[in-house]
Amino acid sequence: MPNLNLHFMVSISLLTVMLFSLSAHSVETAQKSLAQKWISDEFQPSTLSQGEQMQEMNWFIEASKPYQGMEIRVVSERIATHWYEASVLAKAFFEITGIHVVHELTGEDDVIKKLSAQILTQQNIYDAYINDSDLIGTHFRSNAVLPLSDFIKEQGANVTLPSLDLQDFIGLKFTTGPDGKLYQLPDQQFANLYWYRHDWFNREDFKKRFKSRYGYQLGVPQNWQAYEDIAEFFSEDIKEIDGQRVYGHMDYAKTDPSLGWRMSDAWFSMAGVGDKGLPNGLPVDEWGIRVEQCRPVGASVERGGALNSPAAIYAVDKFRDWLNKYAPEQSIDLNFTQAGEWAGKGIIAQQIFWYTAFVANLTKPGLAVMNLDGTPKWRVAPSPVGKYWQAGMKSGYQDAGAWTLLKNTPLKRQQAAWLYAQFVVSKTVSLKKTLVGLTPIRLSDIESDVMSEQAPYLGGLVEFYRSSGRDIWTPTGTNVPDYPGLANYWWQYISLIIEGKVSTQKGMDNFAAAMDRQFALMGERTDMKCAPKLNPLASKEFWFNQAGAPKRIIIDKAVGHTLPYEEAINVWK
Amino acid sequence: MYGSNEAQCDIAAKFEMIKRFSAVCLHAIALCFILYLSLYASTSRAEKIQILTYEESPYAVMVGKTQKGLLVDMLREMFSRSDLQYKLRFIPLKRAIITVERKPGYCVLPIVRSQEREANFQWISPVLVSRYGLYSQESLSIPLITLSDAKAYKIGSFLGSGIGEYLIDLGFDVELTTLSAQNLQKLKRGRFELWAADLISARELMQKQGVIFGQPELVFYTSVRAMACNREVPVEQIRKLETALTAMYRDGYMKQLYLEYGVDI
Repeated sequence: MPNLNLHFMVSISLLTVMLFSLSAHSVETAQKSLAQKWISDEFQPSTLSQGEQMQEMNWFIEASKPYQGMEIRVVSERIATHWYEASVLAKAFFEITGIHVVHELTGEDDVIKKLSAQILTQQNIYDAYINDSDLIGTHFRSNAVLPLSDFIKEQGANVTLPSLDLQDFIGLKFTTGPDGKLYQLPDQQFANLYWYRHDWFNREDFKKRFKSRYGYQLGVPQNWQAYEDIAEFFSEDIKEIDGQRVYGHMDYAKTDPSLGWRMSDAWFSMAGVGDKGLPNGLPVDEWGIRVEQCRPVGASVERGGALNSPAAIYAVDKFRDWLNKYAPEQSIDLNFTQAGEWAGKGIIAQQIFWYTAFVANLTKPGLAVMNLDGTPKWRVAPSPVGKYWQAGMKSGYQDAGAWTLLKNTPLKRQQAAWLYAQFVVSKTVSLKKTLVGLTPIRLSDIESDVMSEQAPYLGGLVEFYRSSGRDIWTPTGTNVPDYPGLANYWWQYISLIIEGKVSTQKGMDNFAAAMDRQFALMGERTDMKCAPKLNPLASKEFWFNQAGAPKRIIIDKAVGHTLPYEEAINVWK
Repeated sequence: MYGSNEAQCDIAAKFEMIKRFSAVCLHAIALCFILYLSLYASTSRAEKIQILTYEESPYAVMVGKTQKGLLVDMLREMFSRSDLQYKLRFIPLKRAIITVERKPGYCVLPIVRSQEREANFQWISPVLVSRYGLYSQESLSIPLITLSDAKAYKIGSFLGSGIGEYLIDLGFDVELTTLSAQNLQKLKRGRFELWAADLISARELMQKQGVIFGQPELVFYTSVRAMACNREVPVEQIRKLETALTAMYRDGYMKQLYLEYGVDI
């Protein structure tokens, strides 16, 4: 039998002694001693001094007294940040507060299904969820989610950390409903950015070849035409580097929920399907849903939406064409997880958008995409935009996994879970957590000297989070009234187009009609805030004559446009 | 105007004849239509949905020739609330999943509804919420605070169980048996240090085999299991079953059923 970890044995013993035999005073002393140990051994660096960290821990020790001995169950998706929380921070929280948290990890799709199941069955499956803020439109309408801004003032007042400093969170606007209430507290954020091989793009021979073939400089593409040219250049002209087949594009298209997210997360927003407006286009967002006041009124062009508009057709056509022409042959059979490792293989020149949750995995020493000095050979930059995109529109997607409490969880369990939620985002631990998972949530961490020192090793991630980019790359917004139900439509309808079973126009017409039908059904519900209310049918021409989305077809082919890296990231300023 | 009267009588007689003939024809057509409809309906009714499950006490068990268990009762209620018919059969889980993937008209339960499986089936969910724990030998205590603490140990599970695959995915050292029941003896003999099992099934299996492992060292995972149906099962049938299941949760039937079987979330 393997030996038990010594530190673990010590802490278990201390806890057992603390809970069952010592006096209240001794218990507190033991907790403080463990807190001090965690601060010195694990929670460094921090934006707080060790004294300030200890102050926060003392507050947790005091506030958690009524909940000592409880077992709390929370769930989140499986990324490095949450693995750190589940394995390290949950244990620290147990030792410091005496509350045992089982932090389960699963796929985001499963998190959503579990949350929906708890609402449907009225059984308290979990005490808290870390759930993507893409569900904000569902949450504020559902009446099932506890508004945190109310909870903090009322039943959660005694268990709300005085130094929580909500204004320090960069993603609060993503988790606030149109009613002004905060429904979720951000726990981790990552963006979808353009990813490319900075070293290859700077090779003089490649630069010359590209210029002579396309008439402009090889650089960070600013529009889809330039992206397409670069994809063609590496896949069909360069073809091999150091004897290895290389590709100018990477993607995935397996019939799987992740295919839908690729489209709804960012592809449509980059193409320019929606209207201007941040964090999401108004009145038409990047899902192609039109709202009036807060009510969705249609997704099809005939009802004022843009889901089957020329911009949407353009987006799907480009996705399919690039996949077939320039991506590795296997990519059509890959899903999000399987495709994630491909950038690290050293055979991909660029990816139009890439989840920065993978930064930690792609900066591991020894990878084909890393230099010997620990700096990456790759960079991230703003993603290129399609020909329907206009300034003032969102430019891409940002994922904001956020703490969500359900109303049907018993109060005492909500309070204990809220303590854990705040612990894992507290200033005491958040900078260390950011360095582990590279999914920053606090401005104080982003602006810290520690992050300045890390910047050269993170390929542009720090520059992105220090810029206005963090407000322009945004999650799904409040127009989407039932994310769990409607997100399924994306992969189900778009896979039929990718598999060649229907034309793009027919497939998107079917998709938009199905979404409208779902809105009609939701509109019959009397218990839903801001329920959909469909617009009457009108001709497409009627809507194309109105300002904004849905936009009339643009026939002209754009001219490729690139910028050097340094200038490209200035766009974020 | 007699002639015209005669003529009128003649026309009236012909008209009456045509009317009678038409009525006979219409009756015949209606009769055919009704016959066709009833034949069609009886054919539809005759096409029972084939449900596959596997033995996992107390959810689904064969006692002699009788099918018993929480899911057996749940299925009976769910189908009684729709106008659909079904036939329940027991086969090993792995084979059941493959059969349902390939054969129209088939469904399997309970299975984990994962992202990887999502596109391969149509789903009716949730049919079962269960917790999974890690058990050690009774004489041995392996204190676990987080799942990561179990990384140093070999864990036993069974083939086709979602939980075994979950732990393997996370990089744990997992040994899989063909049947869940085999794991108790293996743990007893120290072939592995921890046994990963659904709490309710584990309780039942321990009772059945007279083995006591006590409480799990850690309850580490919750699964929401579903009924997966072949993609060609008509959408209307899936909707009917979904509607029935939702109603069963809303009117308290499921809560009562869980209580009857001593299942507590």
